Amino acid sequence: MTPDQENLSHSETLDDDIERLGIYQVYTGSGTGSGFLIDATHLVTNHHVVQPYRQVAIEMRDKTRILGTVRRLDPHRDLAVVELARAVDGAVLELSEVEQMRPKQAVHILGFPVGLPLSLTEGVISHPRQLLDEQYFLQTDAAINPGNSGGPMLDDHRRIIAVTTCKLNAADAVGFGIPVADVRRFIEAFRAQDAAFGVQCPACQVLISEPKRYCPSCGLDLESQHDFGEFFEIPDPHPLVGFVEKSLAGAGIDPVLARHGNHNWSFHIGSAPIKVWCCCSDHLNFSSPMAQTGTKGLNELFKFLLSEEHAPFAFDLNGTTVRLNLVVHISDVFASAEHAELGARVAQFIAKADATDNLLIHKYGCVPAPETQRDFLKGAEHHGLV
Amino acid sequence: MTSEWLQDSALAVLRAVMPIATLHLPQPIRRRHAIAPRDYGRRDRAIELYESGRFTDAVCEAFAYLLPGVEIPDLKDAPFVFVQGSARVRAHIEGTEMVLRSVLAALGPDSQATAALRFFLTRLSSTGQMFQPRLRGDEIALEFRDQLALLHPGKLIEVLQRMPMEADSNDTWMVGQFGVETPDREPIAPLDADELARALEIWNAHWSAVDELMTESRRRRSVRFLDAVGSFAAYHMRYTLPLFGAVRARLNEGADDFTDRDENPNKRDVALAKTLKDMRRFTSDELQQCLGHASYAINPLQEGTPSLLTSTLGSGNRMQTTGELRATGRSMEAALELISDYLDLLAHYTWGADVETALRAGLTLVSGRPWREAADVLWNHANATARVFGSHGEHDRDDEVGEDDDGASRYDA
Repeated sequence: MTPDQENLSHSETLDDDIERLGIYQVYTGSGTGSGFLIDATHLVTNHHVVQPYRQVAIEMRDKTRILGTVRRLDPHRDLAVVELARAVDGAVLELSEVEQMRPKQAVHILGFPVGLPLSLTEGVISHPRQLLDEQYFLQTDAAINPGNSGGPMLDDHRRIIAVTTCKLNAADAVGFGIPVADVRRFIEAFRAQDAAFGVQCPACQVLISEPKRYCPSCGLDLESQHDFGEFFEIPDPHPLVGFVEKSLAGAGIDPVLARHGNHNWSFHIGSAPIKVWCCCSDHLNFSSPMAQTGTKGLNELFKFLLSEEHAPFAFDLNGTTVRLNLVVHISDVFASAEHAELGARVAQFIAKADATDNLLIHKYGCVPAPETQRDFLKGAEHHGLV
Repeated sequence: MTSEWLQDSALAVLRAVMPIATLHLPQPIRRRHAIAPRDYGRRDRAIELYESGRFTDAVCEAFAYLLPGVEIPDLKDAPFVFVQGSARVRAHIEGTEMVLRSVLAALGPDSQATAALRFFLTRLSSTGQMFQPRLRGDEIALEFRDQLALLHPGKLIEVLQRMPMEADSNDTWMVGQFGVETPDREPIAPLDADELARALEIWNAHWSAVDELMTESRRRRSVRFLDAVGSFAAYHMRYTLPLFGAVRARLNEGADDFTDRDENPNKRDVALAKTLKDMRRFTSDELQQCLGHASYAINPLQEGTPSLLTSTLGSGNRMQTTGELRATGRSMEAALELISDYLDLLAHYTWGADVETALRAGLTLVSGRPWREAADVLWNHANATARVFGSHGEHDRDDEVGEDDDGASRYDA
């Protein structure tokens, strides 16, 4: 086997079994990113993926999410360690011992570009040690997109050679990774420390584990660096975020696990997917794309969907997908006296979505929507239909 | 025979190389909406009332803001009915809830019920709006219902502005489309004989002009020219003719595609060509059924502002580019863009009588004139209009304008 054939073989293997690798999507109220396991309960990602949250959601392959607690931040080198609420069984990738990469060496990037499922892109090292903003990066021509941040860059032997961090927007195919040597130092330092939470000083890398104005080691004015104050005191959420997350909590949904980027939330209640988003400055939408229309009995289905009995909720058809919707006007969100009433309405909506997808499937001949969690669909007997 | 053929042939060749020489921009048959200006103080008062817990008073004040000059009855006693085009809207306070309802249609034995219901679910029911279609028995209505304590005036005003317009736009065309009945719709006053004759003439001339402009657009393969032709095709009809029913629905559906500047130009070209064919396919009788004067309790148009005049007709990137077209001899494009801008301002916004007169005067000035002259005249007129009526314009500076001053005298054109 020639070296090229050997490389090709590794690449194919990587492509074939990426699903079992310990690389997961990280969700926050700012966006989504990628992260990779360093052991069964810890994940490394970018600092900018988790900032300014101390708790994030990590999505498994089966779409369930588990809570992650941010333990370490290195804002200067853009790295973070997240501790998972339970151990997971994804394969832990090895850190490369080779510190000197060479140009044209193959790079395989794994991550969740633009929120898509785990994807592999490939390219070569354009520069192994590119100086940018006074730091060294591994530069590659492989496609990097929003959502890839925090994911691993691998060599042909499936070893981590860098952590994806950014790309140049003004250029094509110019992406950057944090070199593996820096990643290793960060992980080793984390393992040697016992503070529950800490941030590394941008200047001297000493761990700061409580709010301080100046670094006790190098004297750096920390408040002038990377919004340092926010690491120890999370800013108050926007009133809209506060309303949604309080309402979700009231309905028994963990809002941290539901976060899906800026002013977006998504989760499942039973089998039904639910999405929450702001479409404009006036409306907050709760929507459950719960089923797809069948081919028979459409007249009866449509009459049921349009029936006044569903108010204040309403169904619509998005193509063939049946959605149950609740629209909240933003003026209501800012009328805090009415939050209890609206919160109860949100809880009713979630409960109705959970019950109705089963009804549509068993009574009206609908089929599960692509995002329906089929394992949680209740049988027809649940509705007294058999 | 031979000579006639030669003559026809020669004309055909001339037509192929000679683009349309001018546009005729007749006075509109559509009546100007005589609607009193809004008192924004009443809107603020409604919010104050709501915030102080006087929910019913807040609702009445919000209605008074949107329907100036209309006496609002006690909404608890009986439904208050107002007309918005072909839509009748009933507003009523039932216990602690405000209910707004406008019947769209009723399903009859001969209706294509499944198609109609699918349409309501797909096109009228939606996220991002507070009202939804609801079915009671066989009757489908747009409906909004909410507790008074949750009825911030901002929400009520939004629903009052959007729901009746949505009900109006889904009018008699549904009868032909789905075979439904329309039991609770407001009849539209038909045009008189003179208006109708003029409307048919305008209609035919307009689509002939659009046909020729489309040919020119395809010859030039210019997206900017396609933009202007598409705008002219839709806005001229909206400004000039009081359309409703199937014709308005089809025109608006097509215009959504061919005026969408984010869409692929080839698709827009195809959409415009299809709309042109569809429009020409309507018979005079069909067109007559879709022409009439509707009345609107709530201003169906947006309110025009001085800053809009400045941004459209004043010195800015858009006018600079139009000016460059004119300066480089591309008079047809420059004139067509300016005409489309004027039509946009007149078709989609309400203005004070002085601004409306000035904008109309601009179109009258260029109607029937060759492109080069039209471009020059309207360019100067646009600059003068922005100068006089735009933001910080002369019109606002009372100290500089004497009582006897005639605004029109300030025009260069």
